[in-house]
Amino acid sequence: MSAEASNPAATPTPCEDSQGDGRWMSQHVRFVSECKEREPDVVFVGDSLVQLMHQFGIWRQLFSPLHCLNFGIGGDATQHVLWRLSNGELDNISPKVVVLWVGTNNHGHTAEQIASGIMEIVQLIHNKLPNAHTLVLGVLPRGRMPNPLRQRNAEVNKLVQDALSSLSHASFFNVDPGFVLSDGSISHQDISVHYHSGLRPCFQRALPSAL
Amino acid sequence: MSGGDLNPAAVPLPVEDRQGDGRWMSQHTRFVQECKDGEPEVLFVGDSMVQLMEQYEIWKEMFSPLHALNFGLAGDTTCNVLWRLQNGELENIRPKVVVLWVGTNNHDHTAEQVAGGIVAIAQLLTNRLPKAKIVVLGLLPRGEQPNPLREKNATVNRLLRSWLPRLGQALFLDVSNEFLHSDGSISSQDMFDYLHLTPTGYNTLAKPLSDLLLQILEETPEERRASLV
Repeated sequence: MSAEASNPAATPTPCEDSQGDGRWMSQHVRFVSECKEREPDVVFVGDSLVQLMHQFGIWRQLFSPLHCLNFGIGGDATQHVLWRLSNGELDNISPKVVVLWVGTNNHGHTAEQIASGIMEIVQLIHNKLPNAHTLVLGVLPRGRMPNPLRQRNAEVNKLVQDALSSLSHASFFNVDPGFVLSDGSISHQDISVHYHSGLRPCFQRALPSAL
Repeated sequence: MSGGDLNPAAVPLPVEDRQGDGRWMSQHTRFVQECKDGEPEVLFVGDSMVQLMEQYEIWKEMFSPLHALNFGLAGDTTCNVLWRLQNGELENIRPKVVVLWVGTNNHDHTAEQVAGGIVAIAQLLTNRLPKAKIVVLGLLPRGEQPNPLREKNATVNRLLRSWLPRLGQALFLDVSNEFLHSDGSISSQDMFDYLHLTPTGYNTLAKPLSDLLLQILEETPEERRASLV
């Protein structure tokens, strides 16, 4: 699977400041400066699911002890993460693991384009950090009942998992502990509950084996 | 008061399902159901600033014990909150207090329109719940450094401070100044993305808000009647 120039999901693109308070760039600049100040063993990069994790107890309990940095930005799609990693967020650091969790915000892109975008990020990380292992987390199902986005996300996961299977420097990890119930629904239960009871066991399994 | 019935920020509007997973409507439907199941004393309604509060420990510690329901929905504007409240989210409940926090997402509207929209919601709440107090929270500053949205939110707050007293049941609580450092910057320790609050950020808001709610809840109608005799 190759990223063509015509794939918007695989073309590094900064976020436009459409609201007027420059928050996306402020966060990016802060992350670049954290790269200069810190020596992380693990870097998490992605969208709001990564960013929010930092706010909950699970971060202090599971990840802080591993010397982690959190470069999640809410709303980011693959092209935004690609831009950030190409513009300083992988500089001056040599983590052992990069955890990548992105893809659910790529609205308007096909599953193939999104998967290509994710693989483009994996390649970029490998180019910049040849000694790091990249752990790509599966995109979670979304919406209360079955809907087109669930199909899209499942297809992305399948394509990415296939593409990663031939690489030694990266692997796929499914962090869905069974959010979708037998009737096809997803419970609204608090994000924090999901992180703690649902995702925590997944992360506990994933990271030790990656490090 | 601005806009009258031409204020676009005071027009009830549901959110279109542009992404394709119907999440906004699912959440609204769930809130309507919660109105049938619960008997809240306090109702929180607004955008992500309200919604996110329920994800942190502070909710369990300070607001759940007050029998509070949380009808916050990320991304909502005054138009969306107005629509939700007119379409089931006030049915079958009689909270003593409604906490209203919305306005920072009204990107297409002027400060005057946004303030008018917030007042319109407060008016609706007073009409539907004549005995309830409405606590309107001031819009917090946003962005790491001074920028036009800070000006806009501050103007909304200024207008609310002068317009809300006309509604006898409405109170205004603004903790904006707590988040501004002397150089005008906002710390990521308080707002992780310079908009949404961290647990530390919510603590700054929670104490004065909780004090105010306890004060209001202690004045039950029975006590007020007794004091008039």
